[in-house]
Amino acid sequence: MDEDGTTGNSPAAETFDPDLIHAIFKLVWRRRVGKGGGGNEDIDVEPAPETSRRNRSTTANANALKVSCELLRIFVTEAIQRSAFIAEAEDGSVFEPTHLERVLPQLLLDF
Amino acid sequence: MAMDPDLNLDMDMDMDMETLADDADTALAGDSGGEAERNEAAEAEAEAERYEAAEAEADILRDRFRLAVICIATAEGKKAGMTVADPVVACIADLAFKSAEQLAKDAELFAQHAGRKSVRMDDVILTAHRNEHLMGMLRTFSQELKGKEPASERKRKKSSKKDERVIDV
Repeated sequence: MDEDGTTGNSPAAETFDPDLIHAIFKLVWRRRVGKGGGGNEDIDVEPAPETSRRNRSTTANANALKVSCELLRIFVTEAIQRSAFIAEAEDGSVFEPTHLERVLPQLLLDF
Repeated sequence: MAMDPDLNLDMDMDMDMETLADDADTALAGDSGGEAERNEAAEAEAEAERYEAAEAEADILRDRFRLAVICIATAEGKKAGMTVADPVVACIADLAFKSAEQLAKDAELFAQHAGRKSVRMDDVILTAHRNEHLMGMLRTFSQELKGKEPASERKRKKSSKKDERVIDV
């Protein structure tokens, strides 16, 4: 599938897999349930996975995952494009870490 | 009962030291103390195991995520006619992963704030509120997604919803 020829009918941009994003989200949410469960909830923080605790862990909409994929894709794209801007000004053909360093502050503020 | 001399010193120290001394006291007190200590140790071990399992899972996800980032970054670099060095891609991948974790936390908070347990598109879009331009792009994207299905939910969160169908402004 990886061909470096003229691609006529494949304008689809590369993007993240929604399932991968979903898995990452679930990991973060599960971690939160273990740590911060004592403050807001009535149930005690117990190590055994009770059904009531399972119901409390967050879920995600399918569309929400797609939008998240888009958001992260834009993040990577922005990082590359801004670094390319700097690199072109220096007549480079390879991205150097220094290019990324220059764009990093604004990038992190924007996201 | 033989009181430890340490306990007398603990009177002057914080509550934490006192509770620790209490636990130590119960442990030293007798057979029942020994069981409690074993249970605590077992629980701590189980927790450490769970932590390690979660960390291993996170590593797998991080690797898969890194592969995806490499894919996107090299495709994007090609468009600009440049190649991306490995350390740069690794850096972007780590940043994106942390970004994703932050996104998950924020979206969950917004959903909970709205009294929901499931994260919706609007929650994700809200996490980008610091960047108007980005938010606009995401809104457009979400409009396209919504256009494909007959959804009746709207962006504006109004406190009073009379009907299920809200008129499009």
